Amino acid sequence: MAGRLEVLVCSGGACMSSHSLEMKEELVRQLETQLLTDEVRIVETGCMGPCQHGPLVLVYPEGVLYKNVAASDVAEIVTEHFLKGRVVERLLFRSETADQIIREHRSIPFFEKQMKIVLANCGAINPESIEEYIGAGGYEALGKAVTTMTPEGVVAEMKASGLRGRGGAGFPTGTKWDFVRREASPKKVVVCNADEGDPGAFMDRAVLEGDPHTVIEGLAIAAYAVGAQRGYVYVRAEYPLAISRLRSALDAARKLGLLGERIFDTAFSFDIEIRVGAGAFVCGEETALLASLEGRRGVPHPRPPYPSTSGMWQLPTLLNNVETYANVRHIIARGSAWFASIGTGESKGTKVFALSGNVRNTGLVEVPMGTTLGELIYDIGGGVPNGKKLKAVQTGGPSGGCIPVQHLNTPISYETLKELGAIVGSGGVIVLDEDTCMVNLARYFVEFTASESCGQCVPCRSGLVRMLDILDRITRGEGSMEDLALLEELAHTIRRSSLCGLGQTAPNPVLSTLRYFRHEYEAHIQNKTCPAAVCAALFVAPCEASCPAHVDVPAYVAHLSNGDFAKAFDVHMKTNPLPGICGRVCYAFCETKCQRAQIEESVAIRDLKRFMADYAMEHKLAGPKPVDRNGLRVAVVGSGPAGLTCGYFLAQLGYEPVLFEALPIAGGTMATGIPAYRLPRDILKADIDRIVKAGVRIELLSAVDDLEQLFAEGYAAVFVATGAMKGQTVALGETLPRGVVTGVEFLKGIHVDGGSEVGDEVVVIGGGNSAIDSARAALRLGAKRVTIAYRRARADMPASPEEIAEAIEEGVEILDMTSPVGVVGGERVEGLRCASMAAGPFDASGRRRPVPSDRPEIVLPASMVIVAVGQEATGELLRSAGIEVAKGGLVVVDPVTMRTSRPGIFAGGDATTGPATVVEAIGAGRRAAVAIDRFLGGPGAFEPEERVEVATSYDEDAYTQELDRAVPPMADVRTRIHSFAEVRGRFAKEQAMEEARRCLHCDRKQTEDGACCESSAAEAAGATTR
Amino acid sequence: MDKLRVKIDGRTILAAPGKTILEVAEENGIHIPTLCHLDGLRDVGACRLCIVDLYGQLVTSCTTKVADGMEIGTQTETVRAYRRTILELLFAEGNHVCSFCVSNGGCELQDLACELGMHSVRVPYTYRRERVDATHPRFLIDRDRCVLCGRCVRVCQEVEGAHTWGFAERGATVRVITDLAVPWGTAESCTSCGKCVEVCPTGAIARKGASNAEMRKHPDLVAELTERRARG
Repeated sequence: MAGRLEVLVCSGGACMSSHSLEMKEELVRQLETQLLTDEVRIVETGCMGPCQHGPLVLVYPEGVLYKNVAASDVAEIVTEHFLKGRVVERLLFRSETADQIIREHRSIPFFEKQMKIVLANCGAINPESIEEYIGAGGYEALGKAVTTMTPEGVVAEMKASGLRGRGGAGFPTGTKWDFVRREASPKKVVVCNADEGDPGAFMDRAVLEGDPHTVIEGLAIAAYAVGAQRGYVYVRAEYPLAISRLRSALDAARKLGLLGERIFDTAFSFDIEIRVGAGAFVCGEETALLASLEGRRGVPHPRPPYPSTSGMWQLPTLLNNVETYANVRHIIARGSAWFASIGTGESKGTKVFALSGNVRNTGLVEVPMGTTLGELIYDIGGGVPNGKKLKAVQTGGPSGGCIPVQHLNTPISYETLKELGAIVGSGGVIVLDEDTCMVNLARYFVEFTASESCGQCVPCRSGLVRMLDILDRITRGEGSMEDLALLEELAHTIRRSSLCGLGQTAPNPVLSTLRYFRHEYEAHIQNKTCPAAVCAALFVAPCEASCPAHVDVPAYVAHLSNGDFAKAFDVHMKTNPLPGICGRVCYAFCETKCQRAQIEESVAIRDLKRFMADYAMEHKLAGPKPVDRNGLRVAVVGSGPAGLTCGYFLAQLGYEPVLFEALPIAGGTMATGIPAYRLPRDILKADIDRIVKAGVRIELLSAVDDLEQLFAEGYAAVFVATGAMKGQTVALGETLPRGVVTGVEFLKGIHVDGGSEVGDEVVVIGGGNSAIDSARAALRLGAKRVTIAYRRARADMPASPEEIAEAIEEGVEILDMTSPVGVVGGERVEGLRCASMAAGPFDASGRRRPVPSDRPEIVLPASMVIVAVGQEATGELLRSAGIEVAKGGLVVVDPVTMRTSRPGIFAGGDATTGPATVVEAIGAGRRAAVAIDRFLGGPGAFEPEERVEVATSYDEDAYTQELDRAVPPMADVRTRIHSFAEVRGRFAKEQAMEEARRCLHCDRKQTEDGACCESSAAEAAGATTR
Repeated sequence: MDKLRVKIDGRTILAAPGKTILEVAEENGIHIPTLCHLDGLRDVGACRLCIVDLYGQLVTSCTTKVADGMEIGTQTETVRAYRRTILELLFAEGNHVCSFCVSNGGCELQDLACELGMHSVRVPYTYRRERVDATHPRFLIDRDRCVLCGRCVRVCQEVEGAHTWGFAERGATVRVITDLAVPWGTAESCTSCGKCVEVCPTGAIARKGASNAEMRKHPDLVAELTERRARG
């Protein structure tokens, strides 16, 4: 039956679990009703690869790939596409970058960089049809081997191909075949290891389900080469579909005489049996597998003897993995030279990887060895979703290791990954984003191997349980540094003294995370914090944990939902005295970790804060009362967020802080760098006034140039928070014409020095928030056209996506991959020469480094060029006082005690970190106040410290139903670009209370016996004062 | 057959081919600590205490055959440290309180602790609680004292041929069982020969009626038995 169309329906495991079979039945019905059964042929295939987007339907001859096809979509496809020839665009793939639909499945980025050898037939033929397999060149290689080649010739060909075992160890396949072939025994066995057990790896399953004959053919060729009469496939019982497809494939092969007596009319006779394993991970180890195959308890025994000399029933046994056998027919049919031309020096051919974790396109991919990790994750995998940053890649499953983001240019091969402390293994690749706790991840894998240990040898059986115990304690914040040393010692003991591969590799996840992420272990142990906000015992809630100022978000949001706005404000003031400012310009780290995002979107915490702060301002709330004065004066240099916060909390602790500010206005970068349309100056003033009222004196126009002098004047301690106020520049030429300014100068000019002339065409260089601020401010100053030139890709801009979107809305044009090389103009600037960049290799931050492209330079006309590429600290003041200053002008401080190298002088904020955020400076300011109190003999604590859980009315709907995130009113884009009036509006009262009810209250934790704990577990664990 | 030349701890030794490192060492008066190994039984390399250094790799001397030119270290710093850690792990997973044990003074685990200089256990104990099975008329098993060496399982299979003892479960919950995990007294295959009692290195399998430190065992009976059988 020659059909007009061929429709391939993916019936791989993942698509079937998303109901591809029901969809197929509907397709059959629809074709019948539309009388299309003669014209359209349906083929059920194995896994096509992009499992994330299943069920998948591929339509030939066009090669159109539909994704997420439900039974309800079928009628539309049949009537529109099959009858009228109109492709159903809403079900097509979209390009990640260009927002275009992609018709032809080969141009989908997921497929473009792949090279399918092992998976060539998967998703392309009907696995239940031996005719389709033969039609695709199947059994040619077996015919060629047994009729034209000697067994020695086959082994030589395998050796020459350079194929290495795909099960994990990477032993040269041809060499192994040679060992077995050389054994004198008249009886030999070939075995296929299909006991795929690594969590997240499913390539063997996909091959068996999608192309079972390729494994049968590989086994038969192997049997011919080594002289075996019998083959076994050891497959786990959890793969019923693989077993049934393999079984029918074996039947079909026997019917055609491709298995059995006198294959291809030669003396070669061979048959295969399926053995179903009970699903023990250890049975993937070859000696355990053979024991299980014989019907004994599946435990390994020491090698030698190797299976090649004494394997199943003590016979010489060849044991390879599914993917290894799947390569064999291609090597024999197309020759070893072809195969050896693919891949790298020591690692030939392709490898199938199972992409999973925090990556857009999860699924099965096959790439040539030597493909870089970055290409695998970004070009094929589509990168990390939800705007998160890539942290590490875990390869090789429980035996593997984690590779941190700075190694994305590593070409994948057995050797390179081993050098990095990971392995290719069976090909599991788990992409980990910034929300992954590496200690918790290591704990997960050790939990797995501890429970899968066969229990025979002592180090693995008992040692892994001890390691798990230590990891458990560390993730609960109960670990000690001695534990860490013991953990490492146990890891080495188990790795080197265990009986089999399971135990020898089980410590790898711990050893590799210790190698690259030891600081995370130390954070859990020494600071009792989980940097990724995963280990629940170590924080109140993820929002609080991720807030640099550790504001008790769940508590104030709960008060807001109850309508207790003043109480909410008091909670906030305990850790952060700048609510009006943070309610507008905070980076809202809290929202990035909000668990509500798993239902729909995070709670609008910053907008809630803004509502609360405005309420407090209008009702003239003062916040908590300070303790009695103790008469000690402390000098604070700089009145930015760090200085203001430190001053406020010093006053709360009874000190008399004096802030010295060089400029005529207080607020630091908040006053000089953040435009008023984002942070109205009355709000800034209100927050600062409240701090002054709390007992902080601010001396304006008082630059400090000698720190020792302050002590002479009677100050007991000094806190230096001078920020990072110097604008960095890029090399644009020796002498610059007028009209070229830094972003720092430009923004300061507007709000402090009063107005700047910008002309008609402004070009801003940079990609951070100050570039966006400069661009939007220039628009407001009357520029007709504002362009941002950024040297990397748009997606790599460090500015917040929200700011970028608002800028674009206002008409700012962003030219990415555009790097400035020089200015045009004489007396005054006339333009900016820019080179077009191309995406180069990955840098240490996981972003692609821009490299010059072959496109010509462009000149952007410009009446003004604003260079907003970053700021830096100078460190001058401290250096002159003889205090240690690191490269880049950053003051060296202890991150916990905030002490500099000079006792009594403390430092924090941008001056120590480089340009960061307001809320990070606030956190530093508060830590400094506590540290100064301790230094001066105080307790270094605020009373009362105990956290009180805020009761709210229980509303089940709020926790289970999707509720839209509230959006505040925004100023009209047509009018707002003409003034510096605030763009973002405020929630109405009811709207704020409603939004606050969306909070899931992660702070309410269950104890092991099921009861809700009153105080947070962090306190129970003895967490340090925040 | 020609003798092989191997070097153990710097000493050059002539060895017969086919022998294990452990056998060659013992024949030449070089002591290597063992626990799961017992002359007369098949070696499984489970306890890992007999590890030796072979070109930087650690191998179990009970299962590795000598080859010409081998250089073996039986007392290197690493090997001794790992043996001690492994022994600590064995102590931590059971309830080994010598002063209450029938085998006090006659226990291979206790001897090993003395020999390897294990003064304390740095990893926390699990304090597991297994029920004592005293259903057999003459013997009992206290699984809290079991080190899972598998000697009982092997002697029952290989020498007695009864196959009464076996392993159940895996990982930290693995344990020795009689028949299909029935009480020992009801295990139909058990011939009550008592070989398991004699080979058990600790006080786990013991004769009823033995009190503190009264139990003395004779594991060397197995070698004698198998040698006699081989002679016919």
